[in-house]
Amino acid sequence: MNAEQRDTLLRAMLEELVGKGYGEASVERASEAAGVSAAEFEAEFDDMDDCLFAAYDFLTERVVAKASADCDQAAPWPARVRAGLESLLQAVASYPEMARALTRAFPGIRPAAYERYVGLLSRFVPFMREGREYSGVDEELPGEVELLAVGAAEAIIFGEVDAGRAERLPQMMPEILFSILVPFMGPERAADEMRSAAMSI
Amino acid sequence: MSPAAALPAVSERERALLATAELWASAGYDGLSVEAICSRAGISADAFESLFPNVEAAAVAAIEVPLAAVVRIVADLFSPDRSEAESYAMAIVSILELMAANPAYAYVSYVARRQVAPSGVHSVYASGHRFLVAMLERLWEGSGLKDQPGCAALAALGAAEAVIRREIVAGRYERLPALAPDCVYIATVPFLGQKEAARLARATESLTENRPQA
Repeated sequence: MNAEQRDTLLRAMLEELVGKGYGEASVERASEAAGVSAAEFEAEFDDMDDCLFAAYDFLTERVVAKASADCDQAAPWPARVRAGLESLLQAVASYPEMARALTRAFPGIRPAAYERYVGLLSRFVPFMREGREYSGVDEELPGEVELLAVGAAEAIIFGEVDAGRAERLPQMMPEILFSILVPFMGPERAADEMRSAAMSI
Repeated sequence: MSPAAALPAVSERERALLATAELWASAGYDGLSVEAICSRAGISADAFESLFPNVEAAAVAAIEVPLAAVVRIVADLFSPDRSEAESYAMAIVSILELMAANPAYAYVSYVARRQVAPSGVHSVYASGHRFLVAMLERLWEGSGLKDQPGCAALAALGAAEAVIRREIVAGRYERLPALAPDCVYIATVPFLGQKEAARLARATESLTENRPQA
């Protein structure tokens, strides 16, 4: 199979998972949608799980790339966080089915799949490290502050995707930004950033 | 307050609930069946049917076990002798100790029920979540801060859960109590500011260091 067919197959497999559930997801239907024969599928993947895990890895790479692509590296850290968050939320709102695959359908398959989701969240931790330089207190911030910030955003995004309201997320960007910034900068300065972000919507 | 211990699994009901949580944690919700639960719990199918109408009811009851324990912890630790924030800090330590002592219940509470669960389970989870969010929002009232977004408490709770879930998924249950200072910081910083949140986190650190083992 060529690269385009592979991409289509991976996407179709995730759509199967979201639309039909793990028990009813069909390799045959996904392969048909991608124009891939059974022999071509078997040459590339051991089974449905192998394909699903590859699809999830493919999707997470695109999400992380999307979140970092629109950031101006010369901009101050809060502005970069805002730009990355804006891109991510637009993508989630544009592809709610993929967002559901990312946050709920795939991680729910079994513990090994959930580990991939935890791994995805950890990918955003390095983007948060610079936030420590913006702390308003002299003492060291909590050791886990970066993952705490990522988790704050994830909780809101997960809730909206799960409730079928992914399209609302771009409008919620200022509030989510506040939740990411507040452990680093404190509530007053995080609220300033939130207000500034709200004016841009 | 004494450290939380393993929740009892003596009666047939308690054994069935623990077996449900253990199977759910290891094989996912689809791995639950009356036969598998009975076999793990050492009870008969007739005994199961006298306790629960179906597997979903057992799963709902299994989620309610740690939730009820958390509510008891919160209720027991509130005292007029200390500030609300200090009560929260003590409750967070106790909740994390409870989860460390009950790995299967910790897994279903923080991971499994969030991902794949029937509506009955989801409803129990949602009410437990609302209870904790409402608790945190009480800090807001005394904070003097005006521009808090409506989702601040939800985000703070989700932030703490993210680090808890990472440890649970890695099987490092014994490390959960050590997360308490960071959890206290994130739960309070949106409402009390960095300085007070850091002070509470330090106080929580001393609290966890001086705790006897369960």
